[in-house]
Amino acid sequence: MKGETIDDAAIRMAAADNVVTALEDLPAGREFDVDGEMVTLAEPVEFGHKFALTSFEPGDTVWKYGEVIGTATEAIAAGEWVHTHNVVSTRGQPSTESGESAETDESTESGESAETDESAESDDAKRGDA
Amino acid sequence: MAEVAADIDSLVVQGFVREGRPAGVRNHVLVVPSVICSGVVAETVAEKVAEATCTPHDHGCGQIGADEAQTRRTLVNVCQNPNVAGVVLVGLGCETISSESLAAALDVPVRQTAIQTAGGTDQAIEAGCEAATELVREAKQGDRQQVDPGALTLGVAVGDLSDSTVEHVAPEIGRLARRVLDAGGRVVVAGAEALVPHAGAADELAAGEETAAELRDVLAEHRETVTPTGLRRAAAEQSPEAVAALWDGAPVAEVIQYGEQATNDAGVAVVDSTGGFEESATALAAAGAQVVVHATADGVPTGHPVVPVVKVTGNAETAAAMAADIDVDATNPDDSLLDVTRGVLGGDASAAEGHGLTAFAISRSGPSL
Amino acid sequence: MSERAADPREFEGYRRADGRVGVRNYVAVVPVSVTASAIAKAVADDAGTGVRALPHQMPLSPSDAARTQIESVLEGVGANPNVAAALYVALGTEDIAAADLADAVAETGKPVETLAIREAGGTEAAVGQGVDLAEKLAETARETRRETADTSELIVAMECGGSDATSGIAANPVVGDACDRIVEAGGTGLISETPEFIGAEHIMAERCVDDDVREKLLSRIERREQMADLMGVDFRGAQPSPGNQEGGLTTIEEKSLGAIAKGGTTPLRDVITYGNRLPVGGGFVVMDSPGYDVESVSGKVAGGAQIVVFTTGRGSTTGNPIAPVIKVTGNPKTFQRMHENMDVDASRVLDGESVRVVGETLYDRIHDVASGTLTAAERHGMAEFAINDLPANEVATLGDPT
Repeated sequence: MKGETIDDAAIRMAAADNVVTALEDLPAGREFDVDGEMVTLAEPVEFGHKFALTSFEPGDTVWKYGEVIGTATEAIAAGEWVHTHNVVSTRGQPSTESGESAETDESTESGESAETDESAESDDAKRGDA
Repeated sequence: MAEVAADIDSLVVQGFVREGRPAGVRNHVLVVPSVICSGVVAETVAEKVAEATCTPHDHGCGQIGADEAQTRRTLVNVCQNPNVAGVVLVGLGCETISSESLAAALDVPVRQTAIQTAGGTDQAIEAGCEAATELVREAKQGDRQQVDPGALTLGVAVGDLSDSTVEHVAPEIGRLARRVLDAGGRVVVAGAEALVPHAGAADELAAGEETAAELRDVLAEHRETVTPTGLRRAAAEQSPEAVAALWDGAPVAEVIQYGEQATNDAGVAVVDSTGGFEESATALAAAGAQVVVHATADGVPTGHPVVPVVKVTGNAETAAAMAADIDVDATNPDDSLLDVTRGVLGGDASAAEGHGLTAFAISRSGPSL
Repeated sequence: MSERAADPREFEGYRRADGRVGVRNYVAVVPVSVTASAIAKAVADDAGTGVRALPHQMPLSPSDAARTQIESVLEGVGANPNVAAALYVALGTEDIAAADLADAVAETGKPVETLAIREAGGTEAAVGQGVDLAEKLAETARETRRETADTSELIVAMECGGSDATSGIAANPVVGDACDRIVEAGGTGLISETPEFIGAEHIMAERCVDDDVREKLLSRIERREQMADLMGVDFRGAQPSPGNQEGGLTTIEEKSLGAIAKGGTTPLRDVITYGNRLPVGGGFVVMDSPGYDVESVSGKVAGGAQIVVFTTGRGSTTGNPIAPVIKVTGNPKTFQRMHENMDVDASRVLDGESVRVVGETLYDRIHDVASGTLTAAERHGMAEFAINDLPANEVATLGDPT
């Protein structure tokens, strides 16, 4: 987990990440040069919280540490705060009346297949074992 | 058996008057950790502030759903027990059952601090001591006054249903219960574990169809979800009447969940608790009992930080081996449960209050996450 | 995987009769049930320094499944090499017999006593007798002297609690580096908190040395994930916690990916059930436990961990009665505000310091603590202990994990 700091004020944990984490309380309007592209904060982002490097459509995968950490629940513009109000976990299920057990297979399948290959491998390992 | 006076007025209660709550027979300032992580700070505050009492427990985080709700309501209702003059809530700051949220739910004099907000354990201890000292000062302004004995809620902790309890202890407790009921008070019985084998007698045990149905439901659920203890097995070998003798056979008017307050103004309520005394006593405190009578053949000596516990045994070996921890030897005609209880209500220390060693255990209904 | 050379360090520890080395020299007063807990505490409070109680809330009569787990923990804390001698306190009517626990612990060669409240004549008599027994045991304990040992004899448990975004970015990577160093030097490093593998299990699965270990690990993770269903609650409502979320952690995946960093990079050699015996020289292992901190740490100490390294973003202040807990934070504000309750500042990583450099600082500190340097939690008397219970609905639906 070796991250790369950006302007000493944010950190990107892996090159593939599409969110970065604030290393201080950042005000709206603060600009970041990320690989030659300017990202301007649309709103304040607190220390430890994330902002988007790119825009998201609902359902798009959020990447941190080079791994899937969730999916967007609404459209997110670059520079917007990313947290529980616009991102949801790919795990767990909304409680259903019938109280079905959470098949983790299902929740990863509902994500994008390319990014979930690795998790699917582990599912196979589960199913394949005696 | 001591001759019990027929005079209802022999149950005189000198209590601390509370606003919006029944009178209490103790005047506790509680220091309540909302989570295990703030327990040491809470205990330190209670040690430093004379007359503050701590209720340390092992929960408060990593809980969800009905299990979280149960711990939460137990803490809230214990804090509202009539014996409580005021509460200092101590949290860590990141826990699920936050000290802030508990404080907001309380209708009693309350202060709150959290370790992370205060800036560390030393700071939280300091803030807690200040708050506790303030509340103790306020609490001291209240005096005991004679109150209507109808304000009394007697908690009955059914520790076991061994032969000695059924033969000697149940009639004593039943007599006391009858006295309380006749005076217009309430009896809360912990609890369901002892009635599980007698769900079939719900119609006979309960006051009316609705309560009988509730009782059946709670007992069925309890049977499905709680592992049987010796208490349940012993209860199965007794008749329902023998079990109900603990509350003199009075009809059960209310059935409450663990950690809930009894809401009826009078009569008998049964709380859904398991066989363990320490967890049952907390349920009775949450229900609103000002005093708990504990039927114990084995002499479980644990007290409770919020309610005085009167220990009654019918087992001669226990009465001898644990004499200092037992209040009433029900096989001894010179021991009167009524006298002892009257004294405790008036401020006399029970045996458990004498040694001062208590537990504040809360029942769980789900796994830790 | 690190290419650096193994770097074992020495420390001064207490060698026990069974060969294991402790970093502290306590007399442990262990209640067999909640009924004996307050008495165990009173004994420890009244006896001299070096006597520690491990109070808990397990009943006189636990369920069969819970009983096995409780026994493991009660036995394990007595057997931990940080404990020179143990006193088991019971009412005398518990399903679990104090004598059985004492016999098991006595096999390690250390002195063990039992005390039954009923036999003693009640509460006050028991406290008095307990203090006498504890003080005698403490006298024997004082005869043991520290001697030189090295990293290969350490079992270091890594934990995270009160996590925030800095945990995965700074503190846990630093701890992971130290964990790798411990394993490279022949010691045992471990993590637990099984729910915090959810979302990162593929990474953990890849580290498993064989299919057996992988299967054990994945089935344990699955079981933990099913606990939310058991309660009819969306798991996402349970993890991350409110404090985690305030600290910037949005999803369990994000939390877990950050959490597993504290386990470093070496192969995962085994999965041990809660409270069961951890191997000396066992490399990197996992103990199945809840994420609930105090229960998790208690389980690892019961397994034999002598030291706990505990990362926290929000500022957890908990310790353990018999094992030093080293607090590491990657949050500079937390280190500053709560510096009296913190030990190692990993926020240097956020300023650009290398993880390895800070990892080595921690590695040094682990050995200092092993030799007797007190942690913040020890200086402040923080000593939390709790046993994970197995409620009937969990066992009925998800099976007996013991």
